Amino acid sequence: MAAETVQFYLMGKPHAVPKGLTIQKAMEYAGFRQLRGCGCRGGFCGACGTVYRTAGDYKLKVGLACQTVVEDQMYLALIPFFPAVKANYSIEDLPPTAETIISLYPEVLRCVGCNSCRKVCPQEIEVMRYIAAAQRGDIARVANLSFDCLMCGLCASRCPAEIVQYNVAILARRLYSRHIAKPAVHLAARVEEIERGGCDADLASMMAATDADLKRMYAARVIEPEEL
Amino acid sequence: MRVPYFPGCTLHSKAAGFDASARAAALALDIHLDELPYWTCCGATFSMAADSAMGLVAPTRILASAKDAGKLLTLCSFCYNTLKRTNKVIATDAERRRKVTTFIEEDYQGTVKIVHLLEILRDDLGFDALARKVVTPLKGLKVAPYYGCLLLRPADEMGFDDPERPTILEKFLASLGCEVVEFPHRTECCGSFVVVGAPDTARECSGRIVDAAAVAGAEVMVVSCPLCQYNLDRAQHDPANGGRAKAKVPVLYFSQLLAIALGCEPSCLHFESHAVDPRPRLSAWLEAPAPAPAA
Amino acid sequence: MGYDAQLLESIRRVEATRSTRMGQQFSRLTADEKTALLKGYHPDYKAGTMRELAVGPNAGDRVPHELADLLEGRSRIDPDFDLSCIDYDVDVLVIGGGGAGTSAAILAHERGAKVLLVTKLRLGDANTMMAQGGIQAADKPNDSPAIHYLDVMGGGGFQNIPELVAALTKDAPAAIKWLEELGAMFDKQPDGTMVSIHGGGTARRRMHSARDYSGAEIMRTLRDEFRNRQIPYREFTSAVELLLDSKGQCAGAVLCDMETEELRVVRAKAVILATGGMGRLHVQQFPCTNHYGATADGLVIGYRAGAKMVFMDAVQYHPTGVAYPEQIVGQLVTEKVRGLGAQLVNAKGECFIFDLETRDTVSSAIIRECLERKNGVQTNTGMHGVWLDSPMIEMIRGDGTIAKALPAMMRQYARFDIDMRRLPILVYPTQHYQNGGLLIAADSETVVPNLYAAGEVSGGVHGRNRLMGNSLLDIIVFGRRAGMAVAERIGNVKQGTLTLDHVRGYQADLMAAGRDSGQKAPMLLPNYLRPETIGRRGNGQG
Repeated sequence: MAAETVQFYLMGKPHAVPKGLTIQKAMEYAGFRQLRGCGCRGGFCGACGTVYRTAGDYKLKVGLACQTVVEDQMYLALIPFFPAVKANYSIEDLPPTAETIISLYPEVLRCVGCNSCRKVCPQEIEVMRYIAAAQRGDIARVANLSFDCLMCGLCASRCPAEIVQYNVAILARRLYSRHIAKPAVHLAARVEEIERGGCDADLASMMAATDADLKRMYAARVIEPEEL
Repeated sequence: MRVPYFPGCTLHSKAAGFDASARAAALALDIHLDELPYWTCCGATFSMAADSAMGLVAPTRILASAKDAGKLLTLCSFCYNTLKRTNKVIATDAERRRKVTTFIEEDYQGTVKIVHLLEILRDDLGFDALARKVVTPLKGLKVAPYYGCLLLRPADEMGFDDPERPTILEKFLASLGCEVVEFPHRTECCGSFVVVGAPDTARECSGRIVDAAAVAGAEVMVVSCPLCQYNLDRAQHDPANGGRAKAKVPVLYFSQLLAIALGCEPSCLHFESHAVDPRPRLSAWLEAPAPAPAA
Repeated sequence: MGYDAQLLESIRRVEATRSTRMGQQFSRLTADEKTALLKGYHPDYKAGTMRELAVGPNAGDRVPHELADLLEGRSRIDPDFDLSCIDYDVDVLVIGGGGAGTSAAILAHERGAKVLLVTKLRLGDANTMMAQGGIQAADKPNDSPAIHYLDVMGGGGFQNIPELVAALTKDAPAAIKWLEELGAMFDKQPDGTMVSIHGGGTARRRMHSARDYSGAEIMRTLRDEFRNRQIPYREFTSAVELLLDSKGQCAGAVLCDMETEELRVVRAKAVILATGGMGRLHVQQFPCTNHYGATADGLVIGYRAGAKMVFMDAVQYHPTGVAYPEQIVGQLVTEKVRGLGAQLVNAKGECFIFDLETRDTVSSAIIRECLERKNGVQTNTGMHGVWLDSPMIEMIRGDGTIAKALPAMMRQYARFDIDMRRLPILVYPTQHYQNGGLLIAADSETVVPNLYAAGEVSGGVHGRNRLMGNSLLDIIVFGRRAGMAVAERIGNVKQGTLTLDHVRGYQADLMAAGRDSGQKAPMLLPNYLRPETIGRRGNGQG
């Protein structure tokens, strides 16, 4: 039984492919060997942000080419790159405030609240809301709302205020983690212990242990129980 | 009473004292300010973007999020002005309503009532009832009420009070036990956002207002707008820094005096962020002794 | 889309046994049982899948055919390529833009080295970006580097190189601290304590995570910091051969611009290979969890330059790759899902292995369950799988756990109309990690002077099987060590004349041994074009 085929348009040119392929695999089926616009192929890296329309519908839709199945009459283009502005900073020197964000990305105040960024986000992140939070210095909220961001750049491509939202977001996440979230005290203590040489003796005896000893120790390990 | 509350950007950052004191004071009057779960900047561009539908998008989205409750409270004069006037456009201009609501994909007809805390105190509680709830009357405190522009103008759209001779702040202050100081500049512009592009001009405006209040015998002033507070407060700095006022008159949010009068915890006041420190004059009514002000 | 009727029926059987299964733990295997299982069912032991190399430092060692084809392949350049015109003259050349490469570049640059980083795709396009579950470090009071060491050794079959394991486990807390200071958003308790869970083969809960974006969070942070420091780099630029010099030192590379196809020469006092793994070779036609560029490039060019490899006959198959829907087959379902309580269940609704045995063990068990015991599920595209009972996570740890701890995975399945909170997911082993690689010392140097290797391309630290959470650790620890080591080394380097003689010599050795796979190597990118497409091309090439 012949597989069903669907037709999609890549930058205006039609290609017929078997039904059920992702956009990425459909492009390869159609004969394109990809360089730009192909990264992890698993939905994490933001290389394959795709904008498309479907027949008879003016609404602009988005997806990741590696995770989106081709629909019949899909009319698409990948946007593997969009020019951005990125500030350079030393994260340790920056206070976690609205002033920091505004001084590095003053255009963040130009937001008109149109929500185009949210509509074009393939991860369905509440981009406008985190920009609003950034404007008023709610760094923790920016960090939490933006966490799943792949930095694909589609938001920046659509913003009438020309904000590069994902760069504001990563600044906020780093500010949050560095200056707002509490440092892990146990971690600092262990690092200090290791620097003092406090763990050297045990490691040395591990390194010197015979195969037989190691196997015995391994089998006799006491496993920390699950915390529930 | 519960009312949905739109804080606006500065009340979550620079004007934290306005927000905190208003919440605390309202709570003492059994008025719960329920902050909207999601909100963006209101844009505050309404007055500057006469025709653009874009300028209506942000405030309309905020109004639509309160449509089930039917009411939305705000404190900042700029937010109040923006939201109220946007609401009127949405309610009365069918074409722009259609355009904006279609764009933001919300079904909103302009049904929300925008209220200011002073209106609730005047209309829902009543100033007499407020006076009876005062725990710490501010006897002997000479207060000049400053309205600025946006609460009052344009008068037919704001309907807040008489634009030439408003009285709501005077009555409010009287109910707290203050001695109200009348002075001629109470409805003059403080300079507003002009302080960004032409700071000297704005400082001139603000300086005149502060000096007039001082000449009239004011010990403190009250405002309802973070930008007014900023302009009037900073106008009193060292002239070498651009300050123009000759006098030193602390500039408070009306909610801060309200909070003190109702006996709220002083931690809600955030006086440390004021350029002209109000604590010395108010120390008699503040429970804890005032710590040294920041330089 | 969702599940079809056949799969839904199978799911009913899983649901029917859930209450009896919950709270029970399948017993752990003894060492002997484990050995027997691996020998019987692990893909590494399947006959006819590997061959001995004839040429080079590992002549006589067995590697998968797919890798041997590249190691016995043809250089992309003529050994007489003109090296007299040097396009980039630097202290340190870093090849690869993932976690190891950026860490190395940052450390070297911080210590004053003139660095150039090249990457054949974008900065951050690496397996690092895709890692989900977490990164190990012994930083809790009830844990220690020595306990971590034992876990690593046991997982690796006790063949790991002790110095490397000691380096890994000793540096681990400092690696986490470095990331924490850079602003990586680890999952923490309100008081700052790191949230940590078990992974396969761990004796202590020491897996740190950032939801299930652990690798992405680390990579984003490193990439942002790298850019802030304005370290020179070129994207879409691969390295197609290493250069040696007349003293036998590694002295640079020949680069190929992936877009313009131009070749350029870099002279460097030290080179760091951080080129990652080989999932896209699709060993034994397994799908893989890896990114597009995981094609063993560093092994090829390093091997030609004389670097020795270890454990290249040990391929790690992640037990839980997506088996349905077909569109995302092979993609990673993090071990964390099992760490949070989901059980592996066969078509009859029974457990058949302790879920947190080491990866090689669980993979073998799943293969046995499906192919020999015939207790697996087969989808309508012929894909085998067993169920991973993810709804158990919500039941054990409360509603909302999956949304909070596994947002990326939840979204991935939701895109295909599968709600993993309510329905189990189908999994099967997928090619995941290169356990071995270029042999390094504790300072990341290979046997070739001034050639360093860090991350998945290197070998020895994980022995024959890596534990979950030690790869993200590996790239940071050895990436940093490489960066620090080269910064110190470059002051003592006196460079000789650049040469490609080693390539000429290697090609000659291959010819003499009668080995020529005909493939161009390094592969650079996999070729997923159909034969029909290639056949229609004017040049007949893919």
